[in-house]
Amino acid sequence: MPVGPFGIDPTIWAPLRLVIAVLLGVALVFNGALAQIYLERKIQAIIQDRLGPIHTGPWGLLQTFADAIKLLGKEDIRARLTDKWFFLAAPSIVFSPMLASYVVIPFAPDIVGADLSVGLLYLTTLGSMTVLGIVIAGWASNNKYSLIGGLRSAGQLISYEVPQILSLVTVVLVVGTLSMVGIAESQPGWQMNFLILPLAFVTYFIAGLAETNRNPFDLPEAESELVAGFLTEYSGMRWAIFFLAEYGEVTVVSAIVTTLWFGAWHGPFVEVFPLLGVLWFTLKTYFFVLVFMWIRATLPRLRIDQLMSLCWKVLIPLTLANLTITAVLLLAFPTTVVPVAIANWILLALFVLALPYFQRRRLVALRERLRTAAA
Amino acid sequence: MDIFGAAFFALLTIGTIGAGVGVVLANRITTSALLMAFTFLNVAGMFVLLGAETVAMFQVLIYVGAITVLILYGVMFTPQSPRPYGLFFQTQKYWAALFVVPIAIFVAVVAFEFRDSAAAGGSGGDLVPLATSIFGDFAFPFEVASVLLLAAMVGAIVLVKRDEE
Repeated sequence: MPVGPFGIDPTIWAPLRLVIAVLLGVALVFNGALAQIYLERKIQAIIQDRLGPIHTGPWGLLQTFADAIKLLGKEDIRARLTDKWFFLAAPSIVFSPMLASYVVIPFAPDIVGADLSVGLLYLTTLGSMTVLGIVIAGWASNNKYSLIGGLRSAGQLISYEVPQILSLVTVVLVVGTLSMVGIAESQPGWQMNFLILPLAFVTYFIAGLAETNRNPFDLPEAESELVAGFLTEYSGMRWAIFFLAEYGEVTVVSAIVTTLWFGAWHGPFVEVFPLLGVLWFTLKTYFFVLVFMWIRATLPRLRIDQLMSLCWKVLIPLTLANLTITAVLLLAFPTTVVPVAIANWILLALFVLALPYFQRRRLVALRERLRTAAA
Repeated sequence: MDIFGAAFFALLTIGTIGAGVGVVLANRITTSALLMAFTFLNVAGMFVLLGAETVAMFQVLIYVGAITVLILYGVMFTPQSPRPYGLFFQTQKYWAALFVVPIAIFVAVVAFEFRDSAAAGGSGGDLVPLATSIFGDFAFPFEVASVLLLAAMVGAIVLVKRDEE
């Protein structure tokens, strides 16, 4: 009888491994969400000069547990005129691709579910499947606000996929592999891709904010105009699953940023204790999760036309130009990435410096229009 | 392909054909659209089992992530009326049979011709062969196809914008 890992027969090990991976992923998502909700509340409280949760447990640490138990205990309500099967299926359609993303995330040199040769493409693919669930949720709710939320989400997510993928491709051009482990291994020590491709990082991060429906791009669930968007008719655990999916997506996007631009598990003493990589990876990922929360507490929500013009008039031309310049420079100088780095930093500086100029021009045009309207 | 691979392939085949039949027979167009997405997912699973991961990923990315969403988008902007009868396409059974049966026979014959051909390599993945064939061997047809798509898109925009003058 053939013996696989841990002395278990391979025919049993293959399905067993799947079960273990799924259970680990679920545990990671649920615990991550609990931690992130607590962090989100505390960070918003700090930024808004409040205390945040303090009463349940030490420093309010048990507040999210209490909320989770409350959500689990709630009655599962479905309005009569909703579309039964679509309404029930939508949360799982949003949740399962997010869960499947955890397979390829490289936590440490050998701690990765599967080292797919097309790992990055796999992550992008699963990210694009979320749209389907949100559109179905909006439609099945049989509610105008939900439908508008779902349609906005479809438009927003499909549009922002373009700059997102173009930014990722720029990194792939420099690194030369689509495997997440390969990308992580290509940045030993301090040679992080961020030093080479800062602009791709900035554009990906903006697109990632839009892909995860986070502020300032949370138009599909804009409370001030759409009640709660596609979430309006959901309550209890089904509503919670949407939020688990959102926090999971935020973690996945942060993990992609960490892997592609900030050296994944690389950090001090990783060569000696490879398991330390998990700590560095988690710390880096949660740093970007904190940036997500910081942005949410700082920026106001965009309007839908501003959102679309930002994507089509700013991000897509910028990422396309970045991709073309990177490709040309890599062909011209096959042995070094220094020209790419210089070009990228110059483009980033131009992007940042041009923002106030365009903002001022827009304001002048707006004032002009108001004046003519008043006259 | 081991026993699990064969069993999964059989499941995916049942899923593809079953969902495909469902697309045609379902009375509501949203159900059809979702079942179509399910068919695409099953086909992607087959590609993975046959060692063509990249094709599978693009299948899901483009067909499930974009095309199905666009179809649903179109359905949602169309006024809905509860129909007790089948959809437009289901009223043309005999014409459909007339066209489908010869095509099905032709496809089956061609498929069985390929039965003994070598399957795509398992370990190395299909990324590099796919890239060399698109950007090397078939670069010209690929570019022609993209120009055609661009022309179609410009045409669509012109058609939509016509009324604003």
